[in-house]
Amino acid sequence: MIKIFFIIVLLFTGFVLPQTNQLKQVGDKAGWVKWEKADTRYEKPSEFRHREYSFDTENVSGFIAKSTANAYWYFISDLDGDNCPYRPSCSSFFVQASKETNIVQGTLMFFDRFTRDFNIYKRHEHYPRVKDGHYYDPVSLYTLDENQIDYIPPSVTVTK
Amino acid sequence: MKVVFLFLLLCITTVRFAQTGNIDFNSPNNIKKFADYLYCDDDYFRAAIEYERLADINRSDTIEFKIALSYSYIKDYYSAIQKFSGIINSSVYFNEAKLEEMKVNFLINDFAGLRSYFKNSFIAVVNKYQTEGEKLFNFSYLFTDDELPSKDEFLLPFDVNEEEKISSFYDWKKEPPYKKGTLAGIMSAVIPGSGKIYAGETGDGIVSFLTTTVFAFIAYDNFKAGHTTRAWIWTSVAALFYAGNVYGSVAAAQVHNAKITFEFNDGLNVYLNKKNYYITKYEFCD
Repeated sequence: MIKIFFIIVLLFTGFVLPQTNQLKQVGDKAGWVKWEKADTRYEKPSEFRHREYSFDTENVSGFIAKSTANAYWYFISDLDGDNCPYRPSCSSFFVQASKETNIVQGTLMFFDRFTRDFNIYKRHEHYPRVKDGHYYDPVSLYTLDENQIDYIPPSVTVTK
Repeated sequence: MKVVFLFLLLCITTVRFAQTGNIDFNSPNNIKKFADYLYCDDDYFRAAIEYERLADINRSDTIEFKIALSYSYIKDYYSAIQKFSGIINSSVYFNEAKLEEMKVNFLINDFAGLRSYFKNSFIAVVNKYQTEGEKLFNFSYLFTDDELPSKDEFLLPFDVNEEEKISSFYDWKKEPPYKKGTLAGIMSAVIPGSGKIYAGETGDGIVSFLTTTVFAFIAYDNFKAGHTTRAWIWTSVAALFYAGNVYGSVAAAQVHNAKITFEFNDGLNVYLNKKNYYITKYEFCD
């Protein structure tokens, strides 16, 4: 008698409170989500493999800088790998610097950046990092326009 | 049979004596209890919502003030200022609300607004916390480039035990240890890298010196050996590194100045936070 009672209770609660109760049909798809092994990717996301080769610049400085950077990416960087410790990378820095200023100032900024790239001493005390571990060193710090300088301390992880 | 009986008894008592049975969660007293609990649990967002519900039914000075404080704590400064300024003269928290309003002006970096508020409103209507208000007023000068008052006048409202610290803030602001960009550029033009060392970037300065001199030496060596084309290529490379080093020294001085300004402001904020903006702690949660 007791066993029958508990079986009835079990069946009753089984019908009334099934976990799938709230799942609705959405269009042609059932609301079921199969519970299985997630397809996790352990690759470090790297933007350098997705180069933007197009010439979207409107000034001559930007065009010259972009042509040089494109040639460098195609013939050297894509084969050599992602070796620049900074973000934006040195070639992207050159393109951005030339777009924001002019080809002469952009070139000077690039050679200054290139020199800083050679310095491997205490970088972690100078630059904040972006999420993937590269040092954040934006063009805006070096245009000689003090109003553009937005200083970020090294302890901060930059998300932009 | 006994088990069935006990099971049914359990079901009946669960339903009969459920907690929700006789409690009106929306009674003013219970809303206040819940809001107080949320406030003391630092859940200021939901505390503000509950207090607002209560304010419609049962207004009190404390509730009005706690609503404003909750908005301030969740950084909804616009609502906080509205609520603080809405606290009337007869409220027991009127003086505190005025001081909190100054703090909010500080937190939104509206230093001009803070000064005009202090001069035109705070001094006239507040009869407590005049010294605290004056301290915040003086502190606002340290965050802007406006002309500082004289040192004696500036230090006047501060206690003796904090005078030394405030004095060092004042001296820093009066003569900040900035580096001159032009001087850095000239130094690097004379000795490559020296301007960067002057701007505090010793490593970059040494690397600048090495890159420029090494490429210049390669160019010189090629000229000496009669390899004119190669020599001119290396001369160009050396010249670009040299020019980049002069430019970079000026930029390094600017970045250095931005860095020390940031660190100074950060130090001020830490100090003011430690002092709780000269506002005494409220004992709402004891």
